[in-house]
Amino acid sequence: RCQHCPPLRALQASAVLRRVSDEHKKEPLTSSSQQQFDSHPAGHQPERDPQGPRPSYTGQGGQESEDYESEEQLQRRILTAALEFVPEHGWTAEAIAEGAKTLGLSVAAAGMFHSDGSELILHFVSECNTKLSELLEQEQKLVQLGKAEKKPTDKFLRDAVEARLRMLIPYIEKWPQALSVLLLPRNIPSSLSLLTSMIDDIWHYAGDQSTDFNWYTRRAVLTGIYNTSELVMLQDSSPDFEDTWRFLENRVADAMNMSNTASQVQSTGEAVVQGLMGAAVTVSNAETSRAVR
Amino acid sequence: VRLCRCPCRALLSRPPGAPRSLRGFAAGPEMHFGFQTVTEAERRKKIYQVFESVAKKYDVMNDSMTLGIHRLWKDILVHKMNPSPGTTLLDVAGGTGDIAFRFINYVRSVREQQLQRKLKHHQNLSWQEIFDSYQEDKFNSLGDSQVVVCDINREMLKVGKQKAQQLGYSEGLSWVLGNAEELPFDDDKFDVYTIAFGIRNVTRIDLALQEAYRVLKPGGRFLCLEFSHVSNPLLSRLYDLYSFQVIPVLGEVIAGDWKSYQYLVESIRRFPPQEELKEMIEDAGFFKVDYENLNFGIVAIHSGFKL
Repeated sequence: RCQHCPPLRALQASAVLRRVSDEHKKEPLTSSSQQQFDSHPAGHQPERDPQGPRPSYTGQGGQESEDYESEEQLQRRILTAALEFVPEHGWTAEAIAEGAKTLGLSVAAAGMFHSDGSELILHFVSECNTKLSELLEQEQKLVQLGKAEKKPTDKFLRDAVEARLRMLIPYIEKWPQALSVLLLPRNIPSSLSLLTSMIDDIWHYAGDQSTDFNWYTRRAVLTGIYNTSELVMLQDSSPDFEDTWRFLENRVADAMNMSNTASQVQSTGEAVVQGLMGAAVTVSNAETSRAVR
Repeated sequence: VRLCRCPCRALLSRPPGAPRSLRGFAAGPEMHFGFQTVTEAERRKKIYQVFESVAKKYDVMNDSMTLGIHRLWKDILVHKMNPSPGTTLLDVAGGTGDIAFRFINYVRSVREQQLQRKLKHHQNLSWQEIFDSYQEDKFNSLGDSQVVVCDINREMLKVGKQKAQQLGYSEGLSWVLGNAEELPFDDDKFDVYTIAFGIRNVTRIDLALQEAYRVLKPGGRFLCLEFSHVSNPLLSRLYDLYSFQVIPVLGEVIAGDWKSYQYLVESIRRFPPQEELKEMIEDAGFFKVDYENLNFGIVAIHSGFKL
């Protein structure tokens, strides 16, 4: 696949439709547009008629008009608009087409994305993770300012996972479809990295500063808790998903107990292994004695 | 009156920085018609004559030359388009209507699926209500989708209209005589613009691309299905052999027209390769331009969006 990057030009549609107002996001765009302009000196002086505000690559700081928007930003806007149609159409190209329509674009714009809706789902997951991070950060600020109590670890984990799972509630009917798409081999790298970064975030705000093997154990445990709670939520019909939160509470309690019983598990493990060895010896003795007879 | 029988690959491999006018068909009065050099006006006339003479046997020749594979290529194009009901399609150089008919079939089946899904949600309706819903949807089997077939050649359009009548396509279909370099349509009108095996015959490709950009709605998609360049050396040698030895002979035997099919294979060799066409499409203002090779580059689908 060709990775040729065209110089960032003003997208006519977005110029007509909306003005992107966050300036600070533009700074990295500015510098990259400067580089690309330098590497394509002569080839882009087209003799076509003007099609609206032309980007001006003047100035070191980059005086860009506010109508400037990159393809990625437009794609993200389309996907965000498409989320509203997911409960009706599912995570499909149809939902993306409806989303594009609300932005004033043609339905053919949905052709920019995969027809199985992968990008829509990944976009949604990453948006949820961002929201969760913001939530946790706000809570942490409150604690630092002394306006709130620091929660014990198990309550913190429970609340964080519950907050994250609650974001699925509007889309819960079509979520099984989304999960199956996230498990497609093509999507596994992205979905896995989103999952691990979310778990990382939660442990970070929970105050985990371990640098030994515990780091891996903690993340594996929380991933297990999150995934199983998610699955329970999919088939939960209790009011306000009470059963799910209770399940979550129990799993977190188990995890807390696990560290206490870790040493017990080791000795039990040794005992079990010895038992198995003894059983194997007994069985082989029985075999040989039968053979001899 | 042919200058050179062998594929002039030397002409096609140039330093990338060279301006396009050296290409020999963009600017200036000297243009290529297959491997001949002609003026712009002559080229248009010759191409018109080619298609006038092959119009009646166009579909038969397509099948025999490509062993029927062209049907798969066109199917893949429409699948890639994935049109939803309510889409307006402009099929340029669409002469005998292949893409238009496939579009209508696709949209119809998507619409049926949509209606079925709607019914599933309404399973508590009475049978009277279900029957009533059939009545209203009967007149909307295409979901307001439309396709306009535009071609510069009257004969090709005639053949296309006859085919439509025979196959029973009537609603949502329009036939317009027009030149791809100067379309008789207003700005921002179509959701999708396709040109299947036609852009090779356009005299000023850059003008056609600009017109495509003009008539598309914001967010609209440009799709181009065309013969392109095979990079695999072994395959390209076999392909050349087949093109120059077999196809004109088929043309003579089936359609009684050697010269037109000689023009066809020569024009394929003269057409810009995938990357260059991609750049031309980007120059016209399209974004997210990409191409997909079919059959190792014998055919390529280029796609771009007006954003």
